[in-house]
Amino acid sequence: MSIALASYLIGIIGSLLLLTMIVILEAGDLYRAIYTMAVQSFLIALAGAVLGSATGNIDLWVIAGLTLAVKVVALPWLLLMVIHRMRIHRKIEVLMPVTVTLAIAAAIVMLTFYLSSSLGSVTQVITGNALPIGISLMLIGILVMMSRRTALMQMVGLFASENGIFFTAMAVSQGMPLIIEIGVTLDVILGALVMGVIILRVKSSIGSDIADLDELKG
Amino acid sequence: MELAKISWISALGQAALLVMLGPLVTGVIQKIKARLQCRQGAGVTQPYRDLVKLFRKGTVQADTASPFFRIAPALVLGATLAAALLVPVIFAPVTSGAATLLPLGDALLLLGWLALARFLTAAAALDAGGAFGGMGASREMTVATLVEPALILVIFSVAVVAGTTDLGAIAGHPVAMRASFGASDLLALFAMLILLIAETGRIPVDNPDTHLELTMLHEGMLLEHSGPGLGCLVLANHTKQIVLMAFVQSLFFPFKAAGMDPLALALGLLAFLLGALALSVFLAVVESMYAKLRFFNLPQFLSVSLLSAFLAVALRLL
Repeated sequence: MSIALASYLIGIIGSLLLLTMIVILEAGDLYRAIYTMAVQSFLIALAGAVLGSATGNIDLWVIAGLTLAVKVVALPWLLLMVIHRMRIHRKIEVLMPVTVTLAIAAAIVMLTFYLSSSLGSVTQVITGNALPIGISLMLIGILVMMSRRTALMQMVGLFASENGIFFTAMAVSQGMPLIIEIGVTLDVILGALVMGVIILRVKSSIGSDIADLDELKG
Repeated sequence: MELAKISWISALGQAALLVMLGPLVTGVIQKIKARLQCRQGAGVTQPYRDLVKLFRKGTVQADTASPFFRIAPALVLGATLAAALLVPVIFAPVTSGAATLLPLGDALLLLGWLALARFLTAAAALDAGGAFGGMGASREMTVATLVEPALILVIFSVAVVAGTTDLGAIAGHPVAMRASFGASDLLALFAMLILLIAETGRIPVDNPDTHLELTMLHEGMLLEHSGPGLGCLVLANHTKQIVLMAFVQSLFFPFKAAGMDPLALALGLLAFLLGALALSVFLAVVESMYAKLRFFNLPQFLSVSLLSAFLAVALRLL
């Protein structure tokens, strides 16, 4: 695969990633947010495969496979299982109106595009827009974590943010060293497991959601 | 002189084609919906029969209605037909930059005609003095304030590349200069598909099949009309729908005939029909899959399209 084709495909994948992020922000229902997060991770795996075949870097193929197994299959399954076990209602509770978060997201994207054009010296292997898209994905993921009440939605935000970091790393530096990528992935799995366990334990022992722990602050 | 003549003929011919095919598109959408719901459904020509029936009937109108109420349907139809003149359907000569063959107006004027038609419909609904009409009008205008800025942003995201807002020039732009189907086109197309649902009054936003719900937007405004007046408004609605479909195609999938060659014209027509069919299937499937949104959730739904259209422009410019 030629570099030109790869950078065209990465551009397309980048805009699809932004789209999935908008859908996650807008989603009023946990299932849709989780499925969209899985689609987003699938796009990340796809980006890894495209870059892998364009640059001949075997590590990227491994990372793509790892992303596919962990983020597309395992983590969404874990989240869905937690929903199932807790029998919580599917509606997402928000801290601020969704339209406000969408407006903030627009501002974030504008700002990252504007600021990353001043990072002239960053030599990008593949494409122009991948760096600002990756950074804005990361920031919007953090926005999701900030603006949602329930722990599950915050996990979705964390994974989306993680996807942004992966995309940035892949597009800018042909991927981090494999050992670091694996470490990061393990961190995510561990984080997800711990969060899942905590949510379930809190729910089963005191029968309330994580957000209610705020009231314990002295 | 010769060129101007050709362009007038092509504009009038394409507008006539759109008006002829408009009811058929509605019929096809209704047929697909019926099949998806395991019903037989009416034939695809049913909207034509409805129109003929309406134009044969007499008119009944409220005592409180002014003469404006009487002429409003014709004005709405006129504004929609004017919009139909502006959109290339099968013929879009390749031009270089701003020089254009159709001296009628650009994409922004098209939106202006549609907005005028919408305003006239709403004004007539208020004029009749019915409660449903007033409510439908207020809701329709609320949706319009959310839809129209996003539509204009979608146009800008494409116009930035083409260097003009003229639809004929955009559709006839040499493919190489349009830099192929790129990343920001995808975002703009996504926004446009949501806007298409809102503009054609289909299910997550409005329900075209009912007259008896408190949730209706467009149908509420038509309640007071009857006979030929209602026929004009229904025809205007069919035409608006197919005009928007042609609009989507000429922005994103411009496979138009470049000259008056019969084979090229046939191919252009075929491409247009396929595109219209694809969009009809899209609308029918979305309508069958989703429930109507609460009216107060609409701003959230529509702001998604506003955001992605905005991002499409941002990706183009930055």
